[in-house]
Amino acid sequence: MLSVLRTARVRFAPAARRMAFRSFVTKYTESHEWVRIDGDTATIGVTDYAQNALGDVVYVEVPEANTEVEAEDVVGIVESVKSTSDIYSPLSGTIIEGNANVVANTKLVNKSPEADGWLFKIKFSDKEQLDALLDATKYKQLIEDGH
Amino acid sequence: MAIASIRNFGQILSRVQSHPTTYRAFSAATTGTSDCTLSRTAEQLSQLPTIGYVYLGEVPYRKALEMQKQLCRRRIDEIYALPQADRADLNLRQFSDTLILLQHPPVYTNGRRNHGKLQPDEIERLHALDCDYVETNRGGEITFHGPGQLVGYPNLYLKDHFLATKCFVKGLEYTIAETCAHFGIEAKTIPGFPGVWTSPTQKVAALGTHVQRYVTSHGFALNCTTDMKWFREIIPCGLEGKTAISLQTLMEQHGKPNCDTSVDAVLPILRKSFAKVFGCNVKPLEDVSPATFKFIQELVKL
Repeated sequence: MLSVLRTARVRFAPAARRMAFRSFVTKYTESHEWVRIDGDTATIGVTDYAQNALGDVVYVEVPEANTEVEAEDVVGIVESVKSTSDIYSPLSGTIIEGNANVVANTKLVNKSPEADGWLFKIKFSDKEQLDALLDATKYKQLIEDGH
Repeated sequence: MAIASIRNFGQILSRVQSHPTTYRAFSAATTGTSDCTLSRTAEQLSQLPTIGYVYLGEVPYRKALEMQKQLCRRRIDEIYALPQADRADLNLRQFSDTLILLQHPPVYTNGRRNHGKLQPDEIERLHALDCDYVETNRGGEITFHGPGQLVGYPNLYLKDHFLATKCFVKGLEYTIAETCAHFGIEAKTIPGFPGVWTSPTQKVAALGTHVQRYVTSHGFALNCTTDMKWFREIIPCGLEGKTAISLQTLMEQHGKPNCDTSVDAVLPILRKSFAKVFGCNVKPLEDVSPATFKFIQELVKL
């Protein structure tokens, strides 16, 4: 987990030097998605806990750019062990991009679920929806409680 | 991914026999129910809900699909209308988990990943066999359902069972393996090839499920006395070199041609296997949840 976060910081370091200090906030959903917030955009994927519960991922669908979505809409699908699992958007807004890499290389969801295995980016429209998400401590508690 | 059809059984067999990986994988396969807990703790196992079962007889595939869609919607609405802290309280819910058991008239169905991929002339060919072709949102690829095949659609809220998706699927595989064991047939799971196998190349049951907000739909199809001719018209589950087999054929191969492997005979055994593997009681649905029973009956009645 820590090595994943270090990779993310290295990738964004050049931009950080040009701009004022820039930080990301990562929040989580009860259905084991992570939501990395950067201003009014968010990058979303499934957590390491989720990819372990799913098993080997063999097929992924991600939303198309410029799609308008409401929170709770189905925006993608992940298939593993002959089981398709719907992926829901935790936020309302406009899809910026679906990760084409992960569609072509589905194993990224298992190998790098919280970095290269991101599923989609969204420009969200309602900041208050962020309040309903879990912070890292609450998410850790959720996992420890066996959910 | 293009789906070609191969009708020559001989071609399939010769290709299989020259494929070393499947034999190695089969020898590494696991039999039966070595992990009956499906990764649950003792405390979790003591809290599992009762599942209602219902056998619906023969139901047209599209009707059963619509019924499942509405049942899932109803269950998701009921569960998620509750505050998060109350969702585990079964007393606050009318609808129960259900093990739906049934048969279908002849139909080919395909999974989400193959939407729009079967060529029109191929679909025409399947229709010409007097067979429907339906694309669904389940996992897995193309398969056949028809008379003599026991189809099971477990409609479970996985959180009530503390089940990860991969453990749920493993539970379905173990249920089938346990059912086969009752007939003296050794059936295994093969890592990387979901389904239940009686040899490196012969699958006795197909699997394909869909999970929406932890509520499951679709499930498994166990060939009891299914006419295998239907499987020869497709590459089942998109796996070249693999074929389907029925319990009836297996019993003939074992020198027991008179053993009753009809759906009626297999059903109670499968039900008990399901209860054993999933670690919970499986009782008639009309007793467990009259509301769920009525809901399903309304949607499948002719």
